[in-house]
Amino acid sequence: MRWLTAALDWQSRAVLSRHVRVHLRLWYTAFLPPAVEPILMLLAFGLGLGGWVAGIPWHGRDVSYLAYVAPGMLAYTTFMTAMLQGLYGAFIRMRYQRTWEGQLTTQIELRHVVWGEVLWAAFLATFYAAIVSLVLLGARLAGWLDVDVAALPLALPLVFVAACAFAALGLMFTALVPTIEHMNLPLFLIVLPLAFVSGTYFPVDHPALRPFSLVNPLYHLAETFRCLLLGGPIAGALASVLGLATLMLAVLVPLDMRLLRRRVLGD
Amino acid sequence: MDGVDLVCREGEVLGLLGPNGAGKTTTLRMLYGFLSLDAGAIRFAGEDVGADIGRIKRHLGVCTQDDTFDTDFTVAENLRMAARYFRPRPEHVRERVDELLDRFALRPYADAKPEILSGGFRRRLMIARALVHRPRLLFLDEPTTGLDPQARMAVWDVIGSLRRDGLAVVLTTHYMDEAERLSDALTVLAQGKAVAHGTAASVLGDLLGEHVVVMDAAAAGTAAVVTWLAARGLGEPVGVLGDWHVPLRADALAEFARDFPSLRYEVRAPTLDDLFLKLAVGPCAG
Repeated sequence: MRWLTAALDWQSRAVLSRHVRVHLRLWYTAFLPPAVEPILMLLAFGLGLGGWVAGIPWHGRDVSYLAYVAPGMLAYTTFMTAMLQGLYGAFIRMRYQRTWEGQLTTQIELRHVVWGEVLWAAFLATFYAAIVSLVLLGARLAGWLDVDVAALPLALPLVFVAACAFAALGLMFTALVPTIEHMNLPLFLIVLPLAFVSGTYFPVDHPALRPFSLVNPLYHLAETFRCLLLGGPIAGALASVLGLATLMLAVLVPLDMRLLRRRVLGD
Repeated sequence: MDGVDLVCREGEVLGLLGPNGAGKTTTLRMLYGFLSLDAGAIRFAGEDVGADIGRIKRHLGVCTQDDTFDTDFTVAENLRMAARYFRPRPEHVRERVDELLDRFALRPYADAKPEILSGGFRRRLMIARALVHRPRLLFLDEPTTGLDPQARMAVWDVIGSLRRDGLAVVLTTHYMDEAERLSDALTVLAQGKAVAHGTAASVLGDLLGEHVVVMDAAAAGTAAVVTWLAARGLGEPVGVLGDWHVPLRADALAEFARDFPSLRYEVRAPTLDDLFLKLAVGPCAG
């Protein structure tokens, strides 16, 4: 279980702290993606497309398209932030900046590098989700959006857990792909299809897509946030997302450590 | 790697020497915990390293062959960040960083990103970073590869001063002059095995003999030399720029002089260059 307890070691915190320091240097740009993207999405999908959609049937009632999309944006932000950090951010640090190799010459060990990356991706996703939450709060105060904004803080711990699982998946591809150009393979064959059948921006009711969405943690995450913000039966969705996230972490983190040990250390 | 037995004491520089692919970097990476051992043991101050490499690395400084400083931070920040990766935390980090900036002449670049540094200053930064936590044992993997002569000399000075400070240093190199000048003891690696250990002079004596005969490869009678060497199991002569360099022990040289009285040749003392050439073509003769 050393792979698991390493998450709590000081070395993992040191790696996380390094990433936070780098990010804070560009804090003014760091705020832009999580703040601007949901605003654009709210305008485009909520106010724009939403004007053409009468209502979305959800758990036996109709909700406005904007209210349907808002929790999905939280889930999508969690997913994309963690995945892109696990894919591109980690790959650049491993391959081009050689940050990991430098860290590994110290008391930092590979399992700490892996956990440091996972925790950093989760930390960033939570930070971005908090900013999206503030945008949603603003939309609620402006009278555009009818969701239970008091429940937004409850979403953040779940964002963190789910983002850890997504980052671990991204790191697996970082360990496997030979060049950054090859990152298009997981991006277009795994990440975007997962986002497509997640029910973030439209319900996944087609019989051909339904089985895929049921094993898609992003789908359950979006449903959990929807239940939280719109008031719905949350237990099943929450159990699904926690179960899938736990399974992903239990399988992927040890696998990442093994694959990256071979790739980074040649061992 | 097989049959490699190394000891490095405080205030001593141990050189690992060998041609490309001999296993120098692999040995070093095993020593500082990057690679696992299939067999054998590594001990630091009598303690088995494999038991808790994380804790023992508090006392190790590692300067890898490639630059692995953190490009997101300045030169000074690189040193400060490295200090954060050790527990117990190094004491008086600010003063230590200042000391290293001065000692390695990095002060003018303290607030610059490392990528603007020349090759020599990059190596200095790498060595300084490996020292920020005051290790007892320093690993330097080809510390001067790719540097101009002036920068090499500067790095040599640094290594010399570290030895005087009582640090144990293990370095790999394929520069003969560097190994000869810096190392108190040499271990020569070839094809994953240690083929000789000792001072530069004793290693050369063991592996090459006391003399090297240099002759024009195109001169009349050299074909007989090939036969003569083969008959004694001394391998083939090593060719360099039209000359043959043939290492011989004293008794073999006497025999050679007797058997080739009319051949024109020079006799000189062997160098580590001869050793490399010999290792590159096959087993050492005598």
